[in-house]
Amino acid sequence: MAVPDILHLLDSVPVYRDRVAHIETTGPVPAHYGNLNRQLSPSLEAYLGQNYIRLYSHQCEAIDAARAGKNVVLTTPTASGKTLAFNIPVFEMLEMNEEARALYLYPSKALANDQLLPLEQMSRFTGIQARAAIYDGDTPQSKRAAIREKSRIILSNPHELHQILCWHAKWRSFLSNLDYIIIDEAHRYRGVFGSHIACVIRRLLRLCRHYGSEPRFILSTATLANPQGFACNLTGQDFISIDEDGSPHGRKHFVLYNPFFNGISEKSAHQETKDLLVSCVKENLQTLCFTGSRKMAELVTLWAREDARFSSARLADSISVYRAGFLPEERRVIERQLKDGSMRGVISTNALELGINIGSLDAVIISGYPGTMMSTRQQAGRAGRKGADAIAILVAQGNPLDQYFMHHPGLFFNRTHEHAIIDPKNPYILSGHLLCAAAELPLNEETDPDYFGNTMADYLHDLQSNDLLRKTSRGWVYSGRGRAADAVRLDGMPGETFRILCHGKLLETMDRGQAYREAHTGAIMLHQAETYVVNAMDLETHTIRVTETDVDYYTQPLKEVNLAILRTLETKDLHGMKCAFGDVEVTEHFTGYKIKRKDTIIGIEPLTLPPLTFRTRAFWFVPPPHVEQSVNAVGLDLAGGLHGAEHAVIALMPLHVMCDRWDIGGLSSPAFGEIGEPAIFVYDAFEGGIGLAEKAYDLLPALLASAHELVRDCRCEEGCPSCIHSPKCGNDNQPLDKEATVLILGELCSEPEKNSSSHTCTTSGVITAL
Amino acid sequence: MREYEVIRDGNVFSTSFSPSFVFSSEYEETRRYLKSLLARYQGISFNSVFHGMEEMNEGGTCFVQKSRHALSYRAVDYGRFRDEISRDLTLVHGIGLATQKKLNNLGYETLNDLLDHPRYRVDAGDVLSRLSDGNTTEIMNLIGGRHSRSHPCILGTAGMHEPEDFVFFDIETLGLFSRPIILFGVGSLENGQLSVNQYLLRDIEEEQAALLATVEHLSGDHPALVTFNGKSFDLPYLADRLAYYGLGSPADIPHFDMLHFSRRRWKGELPSVRLTALEKEILGIRRSDDIPGQMVPEFYETYQRSGNCGPLVPILEHNCQDVVSLAMLFFHLVGESYGCT
Repeated sequence: MAVPDILHLLDSVPVYRDRVAHIETTGPVPAHYGNLNRQLSPSLEAYLGQNYIRLYSHQCEAIDAARAGKNVVLTTPTASGKTLAFNIPVFEMLEMNEEARALYLYPSKALANDQLLPLEQMSRFTGIQARAAIYDGDTPQSKRAAIREKSRIILSNPHELHQILCWHAKWRSFLSNLDYIIIDEAHRYRGVFGSHIACVIRRLLRLCRHYGSEPRFILSTATLANPQGFACNLTGQDFISIDEDGSPHGRKHFVLYNPFFNGISEKSAHQETKDLLVSCVKENLQTLCFTGSRKMAELVTLWAREDARFSSARLADSISVYRAGFLPEERRVIERQLKDGSMRGVISTNALELGINIGSLDAVIISGYPGTMMSTRQQAGRAGRKGADAIAILVAQGNPLDQYFMHHPGLFFNRTHEHAIIDPKNPYILSGHLLCAAAELPLNEETDPDYFGNTMADYLHDLQSNDLLRKTSRGWVYSGRGRAADAVRLDGMPGETFRILCHGKLLETMDRGQAYREAHTGAIMLHQAETYVVNAMDLETHTIRVTETDVDYYTQPLKEVNLAILRTLETKDLHGMKCAFGDVEVTEHFTGYKIKRKDTIIGIEPLTLPPLTFRTRAFWFVPPPHVEQSVNAVGLDLAGGLHGAEHAVIALMPLHVMCDRWDIGGLSSPAFGEIGEPAIFVYDAFEGGIGLAEKAYDLLPALLASAHELVRDCRCEEGCPSCIHSPKCGNDNQPLDKEATVLILGELCSEPEKNSSSHTCTTSGVITAL
Repeated sequence: MREYEVIRDGNVFSTSFSPSFVFSSEYEETRRYLKSLLARYQGISFNSVFHGMEEMNEGGTCFVQKSRHALSYRAVDYGRFRDEISRDLTLVHGIGLATQKKLNNLGYETLNDLLDHPRYRVDAGDVLSRLSDGNTTEIMNLIGGRHSRSHPCILGTAGMHEPEDFVFFDIETLGLFSRPIILFGVGSLENGQLSVNQYLLRDIEEEQAALLATVEHLSGDHPALVTFNGKSFDLPYLADRLAYYGLGSPADIPHFDMLHFSRRRWKGELPSVRLTALEKEILGIRRSDDIPGQMVPEFYETYQRSGNCGPLVPILEHNCQDVVSLAMLFFHLVGESYGCT
């Protein structure tokens, strides 16, 4: 057993011991099997029997619920047999009703490809004719008609679905017999992308109703705080959630490892990752290592191989990188070498978290918190073979979120999960899909609000005045010239799109806001964790030209933010502090950018860009007067304290609401608006908002408490990148006052002293619409 | 939003990369033409430009403009077709050209003769009964299945119809699928002349009524459809729009898609087998003030936005000429093979 050896190593070598912030040991957990309410058909029983499968309790629950006509969302860990839990009810239905059809949606083509084979095997084994087939952009024209007519299980992705819905007449026999919609990896559909997918699913259901079918859903997601609510938001249907995992687990050790344990790091976190990797591989543990970028994956591999070469050339050769660009054959070689044991260490990026088909290993090293607890669990879930001990190590980076976890391990392991947020009612997203829906079937004002909400009618009139819709006796008809589906990009907000070209090849597209922030002329831009320099930005043609670069500096835009409250939607009182949520208009002026190497400014360049104005949703709070008095009494800087509090709150938003800190923006002011009260605003950085600030408003007490702990427990003196410095601050992190920040956040988290009589919640005192 | 590519003049090479293109001089000229139309028809009402009438059906009201066009055609020599077909032994499963030749040498000249053949007796009987009992579509399928779907012989089945049965059909749309059809052109022979009914949407709202009116033309006594590329475009598009409004599907009637017959007849001989090219080369028709079909959507959209009906004028003319040329082309090709002498 090599895992105990590694644990011993971590405990006995001083360099390691200091850095280990926490070790959490769980398991082993035995399997918990279940029984179905009703026997399966002989063919399915035989299938299970011949493959030595006994159903776990959660699989039985899911199957029984689906049989009872319920929509099911299954939230159990990686490798707990989720696929079988939805394949069984689907095959049972296919066997009972020879017309029945099922649609499987996967977030990517690659995942759909991986699932085709098991479905074909199951079909062959059971003799139940599924004729499973993939229908996506790669499906040849010549095969499409036959798949639509004959395949009873179709595997596709939401992008394809978005494109084919307008061809529904050709899908009549499929749609009118659609019994099950399976959505695997549903947690990937969150944020802007998820909100689009939610609209696509509603369009699909509307067509199903037209053709007289009422499909049921089975969703699988990674662990979320709100599986039921999330599934309901994604599909508009009611769900039952199944999350009691019945699959067995071996003993697992989860190590929190902090290179910044004493505030500074002697080596980079990547070097430390490499050291840990080499130690694991030397101890004969098959190890999978995740890094934040492809470049880091390459570097860690290179360093690890150099190190390992001191032991033996064979050891060095047993360490390899696993690239996104690998051909299927190359992937299979590594997968085979992992199986036969000749490959010991594989380094990959977070982006490949889902794409690797290599089963379970002994150890997982995660270099830097991957952004969500959910990803962390999925990555760590790769460690753990049947019955054997496994180890997972999270190597912290210097940023606030990573450091927060290192200082609060209890929270890391016990806290409630994140909320996955989607907002299918975002006006900008919804109106695009209303156009698509109107191009599929005339929109009916009576019945279609079932899918698109009661505000649907408001949008229709707007779209009519743009000549995109016409009201007719059969409903609202699409009358635009372009293809409606082409006007809606599922991965972004509608609006002006900037194209980023590298050597004339399209790298990605960005909306105007993102382009101003990340791809202005001279910016060092990241794309899939690779570095590019922006050579030119053409505002007329919406074209940005970039080239690859390998520089040791980065750029940071400088901006001034103005914010106006348009409408206060909700207010509440929290420990005497006035909090509100509502619509705001944000104007960002990009005035220039700084060129920085590490923390040193090596240059400032001006920018001339027109101001960027967008409407979104924000929450804001007004620290009560006694907070200001406390700050002033000890001679601290109120503006610096509010600014620090704003940064800390934004840094820890991803702890509570699944998002990236780049998805949110903020503004703090010691004297906001006409009344001149101190205020902190946090808003969604997307036109129309996508529900992030809205959810955080509900979780405000917890959010403020965690922000307080973060800053209070950071060992720095004047604020650092691990607490109140923000990498995206438009004011270059000035002013900041750490002591004032701790004081303000502390006061906001605690009950005020015995003066509650004067605080009744009235809207009049809260800053309201200007 | 354009769904065609503007290609530099003379760059014939890149035309093969683009499924839909307009040469740049044509594009520029057409844009200028659009401007001049807007100026010419400024403030002139729809009714003083178009002399049509309103038609009502259960889909609502729509607008139809009717016109008549002289058309010369030869009657189909149906006997010649039946004779030719009866000598085509390859219609029988298992008989290729070589076998046919051998059978001919043995004295089996017609399908009827084969009824005495020990091996092909049964299959020949089957083919003969299909030829005598089958409707146009079944016979087209029988011949198409053994030869090719564009075999000139198939045109002979036109002889199973009266000249008045043929419906010449062409639509103009707002784009490639899942958008409204804005103009339906339907032509048929009446008293020796080609009568063309054009259902034009004054507003998108009129699409359902126009769809139903068009479908009515396709449901006559013994109709047969004639289109140019209608198998891939006009008919599926029509079906798609009917499905969109939940109005059922178009009747399944015999369909002669002249693109396929023309391609087989002239490919390699003429540089292009687009309808406008054929009418110029074969029928000797010269259009004036025509607009490229791909640019119809932006003309219609200009009408929608401005209310100025000038841009509709060339759309109607273009569509009408398409229907007329289609009818002429059809009778030309049928006449070439099976015309009475």
